[in-house]
Amino acid sequence: MTARRQPPARRLPAPGPQLRPLVSTGTVSCPACSRRYVVERYAAAFNVCAGCGHHGAVPARQRITQLADHGSLELMRIEVGDRDPLRFDDGAPYPQRLARARERTGLSEAFLVARASIGQAPVLLACMDFGFLGGSLGSAAGEIFAQACEAAAVERRALVAVCTSGGARMQEGIASLAQMARCSAGVAAVGQARLPYLSVLGDPCFGGVTASFAAQADVILAEPGARIGFAGGRVIEQATHDRLPEGFQRAEFLLAHGMVDAVVARRHLPRTLATLLHMYMPA
Amino acid sequence: MSSTTETAEREAAALAAVELARNPERPRALQVITTAFDQWTELRGDRLFGDDRAVVGGPARLGSQAVMVIGQEKGTDAMSRALHNFGMPHPEGYRKATRLMRQAEKFSLPVVCLVDTPAAYAGIGAEERGQAWAIADSLLCMLGLRTPTISVILSEGGSGGALALALADRVLALENAVYTVAPPETCAAILYRDAGQRARAAAALRPGVDTAYEIGLVDELIPRASRCGHSRDSRRVAPPSRRALCRAC
Repeated sequence: MTARRQPPARRLPAPGPQLRPLVSTGTVSCPACSRRYVVERYAAAFNVCAGCGHHGAVPARQRITQLADHGSLELMRIEVGDRDPLRFDDGAPYPQRLARARERTGLSEAFLVARASIGQAPVLLACMDFGFLGGSLGSAAGEIFAQACEAAAVERRALVAVCTSGGARMQEGIASLAQMARCSAGVAAVGQARLPYLSVLGDPCFGGVTASFAAQADVILAEPGARIGFAGGRVIEQATHDRLPEGFQRAEFLLAHGMVDAVVARRHLPRTLATLLHMYMPA
Repeated sequence: MSSTTETAEREAAALAAVELARNPERPRALQVITTAFDQWTELRGDRLFGDDRAVVGGPARLGSQAVMVIGQEKGTDAMSRALHNFGMPHPEGYRKATRLMRQAEKFSLPVVCLVDTPAAYAGIGAEERGQAWAIADSLLCMLGLRTPTISVILSEGGSGGALALALADRVLALENAVYTVAPPETCAAILYRDAGQRARAAAALRPGVDTAYEIGLVDELIPRASRCGHSRDSRRVAPPSRRALCRAC
């Protein structure tokens, strides 16, 4: 955290995992310290800034390849129809927003689900994509997660969920709230099958997602600096007019308050997950 | 022009429905507990941190049947509203509720939850003590209980803060109640970044409990004894509730 507030000004770039010459397609800059990176090198470093350690956002597709053993991935296609129970229109009709999100992310919903192995342990990986309508939990996303849970229970796989979400999908109103129940039932099915459920909380993770499956895991890991909570900081400030304490709702704050089991740097996640899975799921 | 007036009318109607549900004359959880139930013995505290008065609970008799009743209480006047934090529970409230539910399971008592909250409390202390974790645990607890569970949406069911006590085998709702994914103020802050646009958000959310009934989150609507439904005389709401509750148990 300290390093993050004061990015080192004149340090040579730390060697990334791959220092071979690259034919670049462009550059990106770290959202925290603005250090510039070649896109491929940033991706090779798991979207983590070598200078300040900031953990950048990771799209779901990239996330599953980061976590799964090489060559073990098998995407699960769960087809769920769209629902627009409220015929919602907040400047643009909801179906139009959905279509735009699909085009932008190449995903059908905010959840991407895959069968995979992590350190040879069979898992069902469910990753949320914050780029898809803020990773919000709508009926289709909830259904995908719930079906993934049921598949995990049937196929005797551990469940690993990566949660990055703003919470319930307002555009679906009460139908979205019902997904908290649907997803909790999914988690309960995994628990009844006595299979481990590990969740990884990324930045940000709020609302109905934290208040259901993200917090129901057997082991909860959080990424450094991730903002995690129920109500967002802006909402709290508006409601209570209190000044928020330093580092409020950051992963380290939650660790200190006993809400998460560990804060794990992104490059250590596969190893940490594998270690836990081996102990909880002896082959 | 006509569509603008239509929109304005729709927004006004939706906001009126929310205001009606928040009308202080509507029956509160404690009123229902003291009129529809007998021998209620309040049990307090979450055994972890404190006692949250936004949630009240304890064993009581409903007719001849002993049950565990848990309610979200908003309060009726300035003093009691402050005491009960306007029905917005802290994590301790949900932890007390889950403690009582597990106790009910141990002694084979059905659980009756009376839901009436704008939302779970949003504050620094609530976040520090794991608001999301308390709600998530309550959801799992309600799903796993081996004893019958009944929830009644009395007036306002807002966000996961309401769902935490509304994931029952059977969910009833009083007519004219609202049940939303978030209170209109929060929804407006999220979607339009302006809590002032709550009328627009209210119209978009379709807050009436009939929407929840349509999608199956509520099983039964309880018609109110009086049409306007805002008499201070709580006896006028208790009889239908008691009948409906007895039937559900």
